[in-house]
Amino acid sequence: MALTSVQSFYSPEDSKGVIELLAKYEDSALIVAGGTFLHGLVSRGLLSGIEALINIQKLGLNQIDVSGATMTVGATTILGQLQSCEQVQKEAWLGAVKDAMTYPPVQIMNSGTVGGSISSSCPFFDFPVTLLALDGNVQAEGGNGARTISLDEFFAGLFENSLEADEFVTGVTIPVPASKSTSAFIKMETNANDLAIINLAVSLSMTDDGSCAGARVFAGGGVGETPVRCSAAEGILSASKLDEDTLEKAGQAAADELDPLSDHRASAEYRKAMGKVLLKRAVTSAIGRLA
Amino acid sequence: MKQIIELDVNDEVHELAVEPYDSLLRTLRDRAGMQGTKRGCDSGGCGCCTVLVDGKAVYSCMTMVMSVIDKKITTVEGLPEDGELDPLQQAFIDAGAVQCGYCTCGIMMASKQLLADNPNPTEDEIRKGISGNLCRCTGYQKIIDAIKMAAAS
Repeated sequence: MALTSVQSFYSPEDSKGVIELLAKYEDSALIVAGGTFLHGLVSRGLLSGIEALINIQKLGLNQIDVSGATMTVGATTILGQLQSCEQVQKEAWLGAVKDAMTYPPVQIMNSGTVGGSISSSCPFFDFPVTLLALDGNVQAEGGNGARTISLDEFFAGLFENSLEADEFVTGVTIPVPASKSTSAFIKMETNANDLAIINLAVSLSMTDDGSCAGARVFAGGGVGETPVRCSAAEGILSASKLDEDTLEKAGQAAADELDPLSDHRASAEYRKAMGKVLLKRAVTSAIGRLA
Repeated sequence: MKQIIELDVNDEVHELAVEPYDSLLRTLRDRAGMQGTKRGCDSGGCGCCTVLVDGKAVYSCMTMVMSVIDKKITTVEGLPEDGELDPLQQAFIDAGAVQCGYCTCGIMMASKQLLADNPNPTEDEIRKGISGNLCRCTGYQKIIDAIKMAAAS
Protein backbone atom coordinates (compact mmCIF):
# COMPACT_ATOMS: atom_id res chain seq x y z
CA MET A 1 0.00 0.00 0.00
CA ALA A 2 1.53 3.27 -0.98
CA LEU A 3 -0.17 6.59 -0.62
CA THR A 4 2.84 8.59 -1.65
CA SER A 5 0.91 11.78 -2.38
CA VAL A 6 0.22 12.13 1.35
CA GLN A 7 2.20 14.94 2.95
CA SER A 8 0.62 15.08 6.39
CA PHE A 9 -1.04 12.82 8.94
CA TYR A 10 -3.22 14.53 11.53
CA SER A 11 -4.80 13.18 14.70
CA PRO A 12 -7.09 16.00 15.91
CA GLU A 13 -8.72 15.63 19.32
CA ASP A 14 -12.11 17.18 18.60
CA SER A 15 -14.53 17.41 15.69
CA LYS A 16 -13.80 21.13 15.29
CA GLY A 17 -10.21 20.22 14.44
CA VAL A 18 -11.39 17.64 11.91
CA ILE A 19 -13.78 20.07 10.21
CA GLU A 20 -11.09 22.78 10.00
CA LEU A 21 -8.73 20.35 8.28
CA LEU A 22 -11.47 19.18 5.90
CA ALA A 23 -12.21 22.82 5.02
CA LYS A 24 -8.52 23.49 4.45
CA TYR A 25 -7.79 20.44 2.27
CA GLU A 26 -11.24 19.98 0.69
CA ASP A 27 -11.09 16.97 -1.68
CA SER A 28 -7.43 16.25 -0.95
CA ALA A 29 -8.06 15.06 2.62
CA LEU A 30 -9.20 11.62 3.67
CA ILE A 31 -10.67 10.60 7.01
CA VAL A 32 -9.07 7.43 8.38
CA ALA A 33 -9.57 5.24 11.44
CA GLY A 34 -8.84 1.52 11.18
CA GLY A 35 -7.40 1.94 7.68
CA THR A 36 -8.56 -1.52 6.59
CA PHE A 37 -9.92 -0.38 3.24
CA LEU A 38 -7.24 2.16 2.35
CA HIS A 39 -5.52 -0.40 0.12
CA GLY A 40 -8.85 -1.12 -1.57
CA LEU A 41 -9.33 2.55 -2.39
CA VAL A 42 -5.69 2.99 -3.45
CA SER A 43 -5.79 -0.02 -5.76
CA ARG A 44 -8.92 1.36 -7.44
CA GLY A 45 -7.09 4.64 -8.07
CA LEU A 46 -9.48 6.60 -5.86
CA LEU A 47 -6.91 8.23 -3.60
CA SER A 48 -4.40 9.62 -6.08
CA GLY A 49 -4.81 13.25 -5.04
CA ILE A 50 -4.89 12.72 -1.27
CA GLU A 51 -2.45 15.02 0.57
CA ALA A 52 -3.66 14.71 4.13
CA LEU A 53 -4.88 11.83 6.26
CA ILE A 54 -7.09 12.81 9.19
CA ASN A 55 -7.21 10.15 11.89
CA ILE A 56 -10.43 10.48 13.91
CA GLN A 57 -9.57 7.86 16.53
CA LYS A 58 -8.81 10.47 19.19
CA LEU A 59 -12.33 11.96 19.15
CA GLY A 60 -13.81 9.42 21.56
CA LEU A 61 -16.33 8.22 18.99
CA ASN A 62 -15.84 4.56 19.95
CA GLN A 63 -19.01 4.33 22.05
CA ILE A 64 -22.16 2.25 21.77
CA ASP A 65 -25.30 3.60 23.46
CA VAL A 66 -28.33 1.32 23.65
CA SER A 67 -30.15 3.04 26.48
CA GLY A 68 -32.83 4.94 24.55
CA ALA A 69 -35.32 4.49 21.72
CA THR A 70 -32.40 4.74 19.30
CA MET A 71 -29.23 2.68 19.33
CA THR A 72 -26.20 4.88 18.65
CA VAL A 73 -22.87 3.48 17.49
CA GLY A 74 -19.93 5.88 17.22
CA ALA A 75 -17.88 6.00 14.03
CA THR A 76 -14.65 4.61 15.49
CA THR A 77 -16.35 1.70 17.26
CA ILE A 78 -14.45 -1.35 16.04
CA LEU A 79 -16.37 -4.34 14.73
CA GLY A 80 -15.16 -6.43 17.68
CA GLN A 81 -16.81 -3.98 20.10
CA LEU A 82 -20.07 -4.24 18.19
CA GLN A 83 -19.86 -8.03 18.33
CA SER A 84 -19.35 -8.02 22.11
CA CYS A 85 -22.28 -5.66 22.70
CA GLU A 86 -24.76 -7.54 24.90
CA GLN A 87 -27.82 -6.41 22.92
CA VAL A 88 -26.25 -7.48 19.62
CA GLN A 89 -25.70 -10.94 21.08
CA LYS A 90 -29.15 -11.24 22.69
CA GLU A 91 -31.78 -9.26 20.80
CA ALA A 92 -33.50 -10.93 17.84
CA TRP A 93 -34.04 -7.61 16.07
CA LEU A 94 -30.26 -7.09 15.98
CA GLY A 95 -29.68 -10.62 14.68
CA ALA A 96 -28.49 -9.33 11.30
CA VAL A 97 -25.70 -7.37 13.00
CA LYS A 98 -24.73 -10.41 15.08
CA ASP A 99 -24.61 -12.51 11.90
CA ALA A 100 -22.52 -9.95 9.99
CA MET A 101 -19.94 -9.87 12.77
CA THR A 102 -19.27 -13.62 12.50
CA TYR A 103 -17.58 -13.35 9.09
CA PRO A 104 -14.49 -11.10 9.40
CA PRO A 105 -11.21 -12.54 10.67
CA VAL A 106 -9.90 -11.35 14.03
CA GLN A 107 -7.51 -8.83 12.44
CA ILE A 108 -10.43 -6.97 10.82
CA MET A 109 -12.60 -7.25 13.96
CA ASN A 110 -9.76 -5.53 15.86
CA SER A 111 -9.31 -2.59 13.50
CA GLY A 112 -12.20 -2.17 11.05
CA THR A 113 -14.66 0.48 12.24
CA VAL A 114 -18.38 1.05 11.88
CA GLY A 115 -17.81 4.53 10.42
CA GLY A 116 -15.31 3.22 7.90
CA SER A 117 -17.62 0.46 6.72
CA ILE A 118 -20.27 3.07 5.98
CA SER A 119 -18.24 5.98 4.64
CA SER A 120 -16.18 3.82 2.26
CA SER A 121 -19.48 3.44 0.38
CA CYS A 122 -18.35 0.08 -0.98
CA PRO A 123 -21.31 -1.98 -2.22
CA PHE A 124 -19.49 -5.23 -1.37
CA PHE A 125 -19.40 -4.59 2.40
CA ASP A 126 -21.56 -6.45 4.90
CA PHE A 127 -22.40 -4.05 7.73
CA PRO A 128 -24.05 -1.40 5.49
CA VAL A 129 -26.47 -4.02 4.17
CA THR A 130 -27.50 -5.00 7.71
CA LEU A 131 -27.85 -1.36 8.70
CA LEU A 132 -30.07 -0.65 5.68
CA ALA A 133 -32.36 -3.54 6.65
CA LEU A 134 -32.61 -2.04 10.14
CA ASP A 135 -33.60 1.41 8.78
CA GLY A 136 -30.33 2.87 10.06
CA ASN A 137 -29.19 6.45 9.73
CA VAL A 138 -25.81 8.10 9.37
CA GLN A 139 -24.74 10.90 11.71
CA ALA A 140 -22.48 13.43 10.05
CA GLU A 141 -20.80 16.61 11.22
CA GLY A 142 -19.40 19.47 9.17
CA GLY A 143 -19.04 23.22 8.82
CA ASN A 144 -22.82 23.66 8.91
CA GLY A 145 -23.25 21.56 12.04
CA ALA A 146 -24.48 18.03 12.64
CA ARG A 147 -27.10 16.27 10.56
CA THR A 148 -28.77 12.90 10.19
CA ILE A 149 -28.83 11.23 6.78
CA SER A 150 -31.01 8.19 6.17
CA LEU A 151 -28.70 5.43 5.01
CA ASP A 152 -30.53 4.75 1.74
CA GLU A 153 -29.98 8.40 0.80
CA PHE A 154 -26.37 8.32 1.98
CA PHE A 155 -25.08 5.92 -0.69
CA ALA A 156 -24.90 7.80 -3.96
CA GLY A 157 -23.08 5.34 -6.23
CA LEU A 158 -19.98 3.21 -6.43
CA PHE A 159 -17.66 4.55 -3.68
CA GLU A 160 -19.77 7.72 -3.66
CA ASN A 161 -21.83 9.17 -0.85
CA SER A 162 -23.80 12.32 -0.15
CA LEU A 163 -21.35 13.84 2.36
CA GLU A 164 -20.25 17.41 1.73
CA ALA A 165 -16.49 17.96 1.37
CA ASP A 166 -16.23 19.34 4.91
CA GLU A 167 -18.40 16.65 6.51
CA PHE A 168 -17.44 13.37 8.13
CA VAL A 169 -19.34 10.44 9.60
CA THR A 170 -19.50 10.56 13.41
CA GLY A 171 -21.68 7.49 13.89
CA VAL A 172 -24.78 5.56 12.97
CA THR A 173 -28.16 5.29 14.65
CA ILE A 174 -30.66 2.45 14.54
CA PRO A 175 -34.26 2.92 15.71
CA VAL A 176 -35.20 0.31 18.33
CA PRO A 177 -38.34 -1.34 16.89
CA ALA A 178 -41.56 -0.63 18.77
CA SER A 179 -43.02 -4.06 18.04
CA LYS A 180 -41.65 -7.60 17.98
CA SER A 181 -38.96 -7.78 15.30
CA THR A 182 -36.24 -10.09 14.13
CA SER A 183 -33.49 -9.97 11.53
CA ALA A 184 -30.77 -12.03 9.89
CA PHE A 185 -27.85 -11.62 7.50
CA ILE A 186 -25.98 -14.07 5.27
CA LYS A 187 -22.79 -13.55 3.27
CA MET A 188 -21.47 -15.84 0.56
CA GLU A 189 -17.70 -15.62 0.36
CA THR A 190 -14.77 -17.42 -1.24
CA ASN A 191 -12.67 -17.09 1.92
CA ALA A 192 -12.81 -15.27 5.26
CA ASN A 193 -10.88 -12.31 3.91
CA ASP A 194 -12.70 -11.68 0.66
CA LEU A 195 -15.51 -9.32 -0.14
CA ALA A 196 -18.95 -10.83 -0.56
CA ILE A 197 -19.95 -12.75 -3.68
CA ILE A 198 -23.42 -11.69 -2.58
CA ASN A 199 -24.85 -10.81 0.81
CA LEU A 200 -28.38 -10.24 2.01
CA ALA A 201 -30.07 -8.92 5.14
CA VAL A 202 -33.69 -9.22 6.10
CA SER A 203 -35.57 -7.57 8.94
CA LEU A 204 -39.12 -8.59 9.84
CA SER A 205 -41.65 -7.03 12.17
CA MET A 206 -44.00 -9.68 13.46
CA THR A 207 -47.52 -9.80 14.84
CA ASP A 208 -48.38 -11.90 17.89
CA ASP A 209 -49.93 -14.64 15.74
CA GLY A 210 -46.63 -15.16 13.88
CA SER A 211 -47.54 -13.25 10.72
CA CYS A 212 -45.19 -10.77 9.16
CA ALA A 213 -46.35 -7.16 9.51
CA GLY A 214 -43.52 -5.55 7.58
CA ALA A 215 -40.24 -6.51 5.94
CA ARG A 216 -36.98 -4.96 4.82
CA VAL A 217 -34.75 -6.80 2.35
CA PHE A 218 -31.42 -5.49 1.10
CA ALA A 219 -28.76 -7.27 -0.94
CA GLY A 220 -25.16 -6.27 -1.61
CA GLY A 221 -21.92 -7.66 -2.96
CA GLY A 222 -21.79 -7.23 -6.70
CA VAL A 223 -25.51 -6.76 -7.19
CA GLY A 224 -25.33 -3.04 -7.93
CA GLU A 225 -23.33 0.15 -7.47
CA THR A 226 -24.95 0.49 -4.06
CA PRO A 227 -26.76 -2.12 -1.97
CA VAL A 228 -30.10 -2.95 -3.59
CA ARG A 229 -33.46 -2.80 -1.85
CA CYS A 230 -35.72 -5.69 -2.86
CA SER A 231 -39.08 -3.94 -2.55
CA ALA A 232 -41.15 -6.56 -4.39
CA ALA A 233 -39.80 -9.25 -2.06
CA GLU A 234 -40.64 -7.03 0.92
CA GLY A 235 -44.21 -6.67 -0.38
CA ILE A 236 -44.64 -10.44 -0.70
CA LEU A 237 -43.27 -11.11 2.80
CA SER A 238 -45.40 -8.38 4.41
CA ALA A 239 -48.85 -9.44 5.59
CA SER A 240 -47.97 -13.07 4.96
CA LYS A 241 -47.63 -16.10 7.22
CA LEU A 242 -44.05 -16.58 5.93
CA ASP A 243 -44.92 -20.07 4.76
CA GLU A 244 -42.82 -22.00 2.28
CA ASP A 245 -44.81 -20.81 -0.72
CA THR A 246 -44.38 -17.16 0.32
CA LEU A 247 -40.62 -17.64 0.77
CA GLU A 248 -40.35 -19.21 -2.67
CA LYS A 249 -42.20 -16.29 -4.29
CA ALA A 250 -40.31 -13.66 -2.28
CA GLY A 251 -36.98 -15.31 -3.13
CA GLN A 252 -37.82 -15.27 -6.82
CA ALA A 253 -38.93 -11.63 -6.57
CA ALA A 254 -35.64 -10.70 -4.89
CA ALA A 255 -33.65 -12.46 -7.60
CA ASP A 256 -35.68 -10.65 -10.30
CA GLU A 257 -34.88 -7.32 -8.66
CA LEU A 258 -31.12 -7.85 -8.85
CA ASP A 259 -29.06 -6.84 -11.85
CA PRO A 260 -25.68 -8.20 -10.70
CA LEU A 261 -22.27 -7.94 -12.31
CA SER A 262 -20.04 -10.82 -13.40
CA ASP A 263 -16.52 -10.76 -12.05
CA HIS A 264 -13.76 -13.08 -10.83
CA ARG A 265 -15.87 -14.00 -7.81
CA ALA A 266 -19.03 -15.13 -9.58
CA SER A 267 -21.21 -14.69 -12.64
CA ALA A 268 -24.28 -12.49 -12.67
CA GLU A 269 -26.49 -15.57 -13.12
CA TYR A 270 -24.98 -17.23 -10.06
CA ARG A 271 -25.46 -14.10 -7.96
CA LYS A 272 -29.11 -13.89 -9.03
CA ALA A 273 -29.73 -17.54 -8.22
CA MET A 274 -28.05 -17.15 -4.84
CA GLY A 275 -30.15 -14.05 -4.10
CA LYS A 276 -33.20 -16.28 -4.05
CA VAL A 277 -31.50 -18.88 -1.86
CA LEU A 278 -30.14 -16.32 0.59
CA LEU A 279 -33.52 -14.64 0.99
CA LYS A 280 -35.18 -17.93 1.88
CA ARG A 281 -32.37 -18.86 4.28
CA ALA A 282 -32.24 -15.41 5.91
CA VAL A 283 -36.01 -15.30 6.53
CA THR A 284 -35.88 -18.82 7.99
CA SER A 285 -32.95 -17.87 10.20
CA ALA A 286 -34.68 -14.65 11.36
CA ILE A 287 -37.88 -16.53 12.25
CA GLY A 288 -35.77 -19.13 14.08
CA ARG A 289 -34.50 -16.40 16.40
CA LEU A 290 -38.01 -15.95 17.80
CA ALA A 291 -38.48 -19.62 18.65
CA MET B 1 8.32 14.47 4.22
CA LYS B 2 9.78 12.17 6.84
CA GLN B 3 9.34 12.86 10.50
CA ILE B 4 10.85 11.32 13.59
CA ILE B 5 8.60 9.18 15.76
CA GLU B 6 9.08 7.00 18.79
CA LEU B 7 7.57 3.55 18.51
CA ASP B 8 7.30 0.96 21.29
CA VAL B 9 8.10 -2.37 19.69
CA ASN B 10 8.55 -5.38 21.97
CA ASP B 11 8.98 -3.12 25.02
CA GLU B 12 11.81 -1.21 23.41
CA VAL B 13 11.36 2.35 22.18
CA HIS B 14 12.64 2.85 18.63
CA GLU B 15 13.33 6.27 17.20
CA LEU B 16 12.44 6.10 13.53
CA ALA B 17 12.13 8.41 10.53
CA VAL B 18 8.84 7.64 8.76
CA GLU B 19 6.73 9.03 5.96
CA PRO B 20 3.22 10.16 6.96
CA TYR B 21 1.77 7.40 4.77
CA ASP B 22 3.97 4.56 6.04
CA SER B 23 2.22 1.40 7.13
CA LEU B 24 3.24 -0.25 10.37
CA LEU B 25 4.58 -3.14 8.25
CA ARG B 26 6.87 -0.91 6.23
CA THR B 27 8.02 0.82 9.39
CA LEU B 28 8.90 -2.46 11.08
CA ARG B 29 10.64 -4.07 8.12
CA ASP B 30 12.19 -1.18 6.22
CA ARG B 31 12.67 1.49 8.92
CA ALA B 32 13.36 -0.58 12.05
CA GLY B 33 15.01 -3.49 10.22
CA MET B 34 12.83 -6.06 11.99
CA GLN B 35 12.02 -8.56 9.28
CA GLY B 36 10.29 -11.26 11.29
CA THR B 37 7.00 -9.69 10.23
CA LYS B 38 6.45 -10.76 6.63
CA ARG B 39 5.08 -8.85 3.66
CA GLY B 40 2.80 -11.09 1.62
CA CYS B 41 -0.06 -9.53 -0.29
CA ASP B 42 0.38 -6.08 1.31
CA SER B 43 -3.37 -5.60 1.12
CA GLY B 44 -4.93 -7.38 4.06
CA GLY B 45 -5.58 -10.67 2.33
CA CYS B 46 -2.98 -13.11 3.61
CA GLY B 47 -2.20 -12.40 7.26
CA CYS B 48 1.61 -12.81 7.01
CA CYS B 49 2.05 -9.33 8.46
CA THR B 50 -0.04 -9.90 11.61
CA VAL B 51 1.35 -8.21 14.72
CA LEU B 52 -0.21 -7.29 18.06
CA VAL B 53 -1.18 -3.70 18.82
CA ASP B 54 -1.94 -3.37 22.54
CA GLY B 55 -2.33 -7.15 22.55
CA LYS B 56 -4.77 -7.32 19.64
CA ALA B 57 -3.92 -8.94 16.31
CA VAL B 58 -4.01 -6.57 13.33
CA TYR B 59 -2.72 -6.56 9.77
CA SER B 60 0.35 -4.32 9.97
CA CYS B 61 0.17 -3.71 6.20
CA MET B 62 -3.16 -1.92 6.70
CA THR B 63 -2.28 -0.10 9.89
CA MET B 64 -0.97 3.43 9.44
CA VAL B 65 2.06 3.76 11.71
CA MET B 66 1.07 7.30 12.67
CA SER B 67 -2.14 5.95 14.18
CA VAL B 68 -0.34 3.60 16.58
CA ILE B 69 2.55 5.69 17.88
CA ASP B 70 1.07 5.71 21.39
CA LYS B 71 0.47 1.93 21.43
CA LYS B 72 2.53 -1.12 22.30
CA ILE B 73 3.53 -3.20 19.29
CA THR B 74 4.45 -6.86 19.64
CA THR B 75 6.09 -8.74 16.76
CA VAL B 76 7.32 -12.30 16.50
CA GLU B 77 10.75 -11.09 17.67
CA GLY B 78 9.11 -10.19 20.96
CA LEU B 79 7.68 -13.65 21.67
CA PRO B 80 10.70 -15.30 23.36
CA GLU B 81 11.18 -14.52 27.05
CA ASP B 82 14.59 -14.66 28.73
CA GLY B 83 16.04 -16.45 25.73
CA GLU B 84 13.38 -19.18 25.87
CA LEU B 85 11.05 -19.71 22.94
CA ASP B 86 7.39 -18.91 23.51
CA PRO B 87 5.31 -22.09 23.98
CA LEU B 88 3.67 -21.33 20.63
CA GLN B 89 7.04 -21.20 18.87
CA GLN B 90 8.15 -24.46 20.50
CA ALA B 91 4.84 -26.12 19.58
CA PHE B 92 5.21 -25.08 15.93
CA ILE B 93 8.62 -26.78 15.90
CA ASP B 94 7.43 -29.89 17.74
CA ALA B 95 4.32 -30.32 15.59
CA GLY B 96 6.23 -29.80 12.34
CA ALA B 97 3.86 -26.89 11.59
CA VAL B 98 6.42 -24.95 9.53
CA GLN B 99 6.72 -25.75 5.84
CA CYS B 100 8.06 -22.83 3.80
CA GLY B 101 7.64 -20.68 6.91
CA TYR B 102 6.37 -17.53 5.27
CA CYS B 103 2.98 -17.55 6.99
CA THR B 104 4.30 -18.84 10.30
CA CYS B 105 5.05 -15.58 12.09
CA GLY B 106 1.67 -14.11 11.22
CA ILE B 107 -0.17 -17.23 12.29
CA MET B 108 1.72 -17.31 15.58
CA MET B 109 0.76 -13.69 16.28
CA ALA B 110 -2.92 -14.35 15.50
CA SER B 111 -2.71 -17.46 17.71
CA LYS B 112 -1.13 -15.42 20.47
CA GLN B 113 -4.30 -13.34 20.78
CA LEU B 114 -6.50 -16.41 20.38
CA LEU B 115 -4.84 -18.18 23.33
CA ALA B 116 -4.77 -15.00 25.43
CA ASP B 117 -8.54 -14.58 24.98
CA ASN B 118 -9.37 -18.27 25.09
CA PRO B 119 -6.71 -20.53 26.66
CA ASN B 120 -8.54 -23.75 25.72
CA PRO B 121 -9.99 -23.23 22.25
CA THR B 122 -11.92 -25.92 20.40
CA GLU B 123 -10.72 -26.91 16.95
CA ASP B 124 -13.48 -24.76 15.41
CA GLU B 125 -12.38 -21.79 17.51
CA ILE B 126 -8.78 -22.31 16.38
CA ARG B 127 -9.89 -22.44 12.73
CA LYS B 128 -11.88 -19.22 13.21
CA GLY B 129 -8.96 -17.62 15.06
CA ILE B 130 -6.61 -18.13 12.13
CA SER B 131 -9.19 -17.59 9.37
CA GLY B 132 -7.48 -14.31 8.51
CA ASN B 133 -4.21 -16.09 7.70
CA LEU B 134 -3.36 -18.09 4.60
CA CYS B 135 -0.82 -20.91 4.39
CA ARG B 136 0.07 -21.41 0.72
CA CYS B 137 1.66 -24.75 1.55
CA THR B 138 -1.84 -25.64 2.84
CA GLY B 139 -0.37 -27.24 5.93
CA TYR B 140 -3.22 -26.18 8.15
CA GLN B 141 -3.67 -29.41 10.08
CA LYS B 142 -0.23 -29.33 11.67
CA ILE B 143 -0.65 -25.63 12.42
CA ILE B 144 -3.89 -26.45 14.23
CA ASP B 145 -2.13 -29.30 16.03
CA ALA B 146 0.62 -26.88 17.10
CA ILE B 147 -1.89 -24.39 18.50
CA LYS B 148 -3.59 -27.21 20.41
CA MET B 149 -0.19 -28.28 21.79
CA ALA B 150 0.62 -24.73 22.85
CA ALA B 151 -2.76 -24.46 24.57
CA ALA B 152 -2.11 -27.70 26.47
CA SER B 153 1.41 -26.74 27.55
